Amino acid sequence: MENENFENRTDLSKLSTAVSQIKYTLAQIIVGQQDSIDLLIAGILADGHILIEGVPGVAKTLTAKLIAKAIDARYSRIQFTPDLMPSDILGTSVFNPKSTEFEFKQGPVFGNIILIDEINRAPAKTQSALFEVMEERQVTIDGHTYKMQEPFTVLATQNPVEQEGTYRLPEAQLDRFLFKIEIKYPTLEEEIAIITRQHQQKTTDQLTHIQPVLSAGDIIALRQQVRSFHVEAKLLEFTAKIIHETRNHKSLFLGGSPRASLAMINAAKAIAAIKGRDFITPDDIIYVAAPVLRHRIMLTPDKEMEGVSPDDVVAQIIQKIEVPR
Amino acid sequence: MLRLLCTIIFALFVHAGNASAPFVKPVKAPLTLKMDTASVNVRHLDTAAITAHSKQPEFQYRDDIDTTPSWWDRFWRWFWNLFKPIKFGKHDMSPFLRALLYFLQYLLLAAGLAAVVFLVLKLMGIDMLGIFRRKSMSANLPFTESLENIHDINFDDEIERAVSQHNYRLAVRMLYLKCLKQLSDANLIKWQIDKTNSTYIDELTNADQRRLFRSLTLQFEYVWYGEFAIDGQTFKNINTVFQDFNKGIA
Repeated sequence: MENENFENRTDLSKLSTAVSQIKYTLAQIIVGQQDSIDLLIAGILADGHILIEGVPGVAKTLTAKLIAKAIDARYSRIQFTPDLMPSDILGTSVFNPKSTEFEFKQGPVFGNIILIDEINRAPAKTQSALFEVMEERQVTIDGHTYKMQEPFTVLATQNPVEQEGTYRLPEAQLDRFLFKIEIKYPTLEEEIAIITRQHQQKTTDQLTHIQPVLSAGDIIALRQQVRSFHVEAKLLEFTAKIIHETRNHKSLFLGGSPRASLAMINAAKAIAAIKGRDFITPDDIIYVAAPVLRHRIMLTPDKEMEGVSPDDVVAQIIQKIEVPR
Repeated sequence: MLRLLCTIIFALFVHAGNASAPFVKPVKAPLTLKMDTASVNVRHLDTAAITAHSKQPEFQYRDDIDTTPSWWDRFWRWFWNLFKPIKFGKHDMSPFLRALLYFLQYLLLAAGLAAVVFLVLKLMGIDMLGIFRRKSMSANLPFTESLENIHDINFDDEIERAVSQHNYRLAVRMLYLKCLKQLSDANLIKWQIDKTNSTYIDELTNADQRRLFRSLTLQFEYVWYGEFAIDGQTFKNINTVFQDFNKGIA
């Protein structure tokens, strides 16, 4: 027994069970991607929206669909296309001849788990429709404000911006995503496992036998639990120092916002929860630093042309800051 | 030919028209001289004002004024004479070259002045270049850890002091730092301020040592980052585990 002197202040047994169940459910279909799955679960626990990026064919949409399927809540999917209009997402007022009144018809954004597939296929006009709902969890149309039901999580997938027919997302929208999870190509062993599993499978629909393991109410309760986790004062300073450094780094044109600081702490709490602790450590903060910051920071044009990645800069920043101990 | 004939006919026609009008001589009106009968007010100079003005030094137009230049005037005359060859040059100098030399004169003057200013500011200890550089915004965060070097701390004294003050949390921290120092001294880990505890765990190559150190790290993290309450008895237990581990390193 590694830790016989202390016991967590919060009972994490339900949370640990839920995390194990989700991981098991995903592992039935997804091969590898352990870090991505941890971050997805952390994002759900931290009440954040998640952007999943990867080249076509690396199971971005499948992973997002599996997470959505593992949670018993209102799920809706929006396929972003270049001609999509804001009203196609939010909803619109329709005239009812019977009552001779305009009635609001809710768009697909009204749900608990919203999967936006290929989010960067729609231009900025359509993206801006998501600003209010992602941050304030409400939609204002025709002078009426409609509150979203809790939990409300947007899982979005996108191809890298270098791909054909894609748009760069507005910075204001990117800042509203807690994580940007990059899904890489599988290793050789993982690739073999993927092919083998597909070959042995009898049905084409992999998701038919996936059962929900958490309810919407469970998610709300787990989020409240995670939010109450303990954070030592020096770790708050450590986080602030990392974010502050992004604003002064010579390789960066745009640094992290205060929302990024909050996101980093919330995400670190969720990671601590997955690791079975009710307090965060510097390791948790460093673990979430790149996924929290990589889509919020903007490289200077010269560094971008040199091929420097935001993750490289985040690593450089962390190396310069003393770990509180 | 036709044109000439037309001109002659037209001229004859005009002449015939003029010859028929009688000549009238114009009559001029007689000129009359107008006399100015207004009274003239003769004004005289104010002799008192003239006397007062003439007594002022500005109106003393004398030829015996001392025109010997002062030392300041002499300095500037000497100074400008230095530029005379540049300013006027030879008579056959082109206007462009003359203008260039004229400009150069003031450029040299400005450069000399800037050098004097720079020297004065340098002597006063003011960093002029710093004004043009972007000043980095520094966060005023109280990072007390950065003042610590684990190789300079007397851990036994610090632990004893913390225990005597019943500050067991700090005592555990000192135990952990002491442990890191011993691992660093034994070249089992490479101490660096930016490394996390898990990095040090991964650096240990001996499996038993790694397992034990992971356990110690967990204890430290619960006490230090988790701020769990710790009493004397719990500290005694933790201290024993740390002592055993440290003996293993030595």
